[in-house]
Amino acid sequence: MQKTEYALELTDYRRQDFSVCLGCKICASVCTVNDVSSGTNPQEMLQRLFMGKDVAADEPLVRFCTGCYRCTGACPWEIRIPDVVRALRHVHATESPFEKAFKGSVALFGRVYEPYVLMKAVPFLLTGGYMKHMTRWMEYMGFHLPHKVKRT
Amino acid sequence: MEYGYYPGCSLTGSAHKLDKGIRKVFAKQGHTLREIPDWNCCGAFEYGDRKELAGFSKKNLEKARGHFTEIVAPCPACYKNLKEADEEREFAVTHPLDLFDEAFFTAMKQARDLKGQVFTPYYGCILLRPKETAIRNTNVMEETITRFGGEVSGEAVKDRCCGGNQIFINKDVTEKLSRLVLERSRGTIVVFCPLCHMAMKTFSGERKVVYYTDLLLHIMGEGGAL
Ligand code: SF4
Ligand code: SF4
Ligand code: SF4
Ligand code: SF4
Repeated sequence: MQKTEYALELTDYRRQDFSVCLGCKICASVCTVNDVSSGTNPQEMLQRLFMGKDVAADEPLVRFCTGCYRCTGACPWEIRIPDVVRALRHVHATESPFEKAFKGSVALFGRVYEPYVLMKAVPFLLTGGYMKHMTRWMEYMGFHLPHKVKRT
Repeated sequence: MEYGYYPGCSLTGSAHKLDKGIRKVFAKQGHTLREIPDWNCCGAFEYGDRKELAGFSKKNLEKARGHFTEIVAPCPACYKNLKEADEEREFAVTHPLDLFDEAFFTAMKQARDLKGQVFTPYYGCILLRPKETAIRNTNVMEETITRFGGEVSGEAVKDRCCGGNQIFINKDVTEKLSRLVLERSRGTIVVFCPLCHMAMKTFSGERKVVYYTDLLLHIMGEGGAL
């Protein structure tokens, strides 16, 4: 409950803003998550937030939302549902090791330095079944020095 | 014309081909791109706190202030973040696709014909949504393909999500969504987003995946077959 309140503070929305939601479920009819987990309905999430109820970290919408903005594009009020989802992920601290490495690089170099991120995420890449894609990625990725190193 | 240029992290790394392509295309048309001095990452979609996320791009706009007012950002995520952070519309933050207009194509020197080859122009999400930051001409890639004698495929999936930003979170989501796009389209896939490029490349098998800039340069007579 408190977590949810805090999540909304991270967005541009207040709880009462969701009172405009018409319950039309157009968002649900276009939501990309339905391609991987059927029955996903962003409207239901907004309703729970509006009522001050919690939204758990393991909800398919919270886990799988791709940030595609199909819901926003179709919603009569253009509610930015993925922004809300991202705030929920933030308060639930659901970052993957890769995302942690991404932020670590931004904190260190001010930029995402891919070799650093990949190196930091090696255990995750190994156990997560990513190695089989490596040869494909090597076709177009190139390794380079961070800009700060290059410059001096 | 001189533009401020925000390459963003991926164009300095895995999407270096898009960076080179953009620079080449602009140079050929007589435009200059000048990088925002010491730009920082825009935060992509990794930050749940809207203010924190906007802060990255506001910093970039500060670094651009006084140098230029027209800013070009090729990575769709960078472009969206920059444009949203410019609340007062002090700058003209533009996506390159919006600069490829009639005047551009009239001035462009055509060296090759696409000879009926089939292409799937794939926009993905962020170039088309939300409305406030969407590009103006949402058919520019199709128009390019037909204008130079190619055939367009995959109209129904051009705006579907490839799940690219889940690739390092829930890879199966990306695989499922990318395959949906691949199965409902034919020919070479033409993308602009570095993340779409990665998702498509990862799961496309024998199908070719190219950047839109590769297509332009090909028509202009550079590079090999697509
Ligand atoms: S942004 Fe998220 S909630 Fe909205 S349609 Fe896409 S996947 Fe569904
Ligand atoms: S589309 Fe908008 S108004 Fe309709 S149910 Fe979804 S959030 Fe509510
Ligand atoms: S969106 Fe991607 S490319 Fe753009 S600055 Fe951020 S990490 Fe870098
Ligand atoms: S990577 Fe996915 S979310 Fe990003 S633009 Fe491509 S389709 Fe959309």
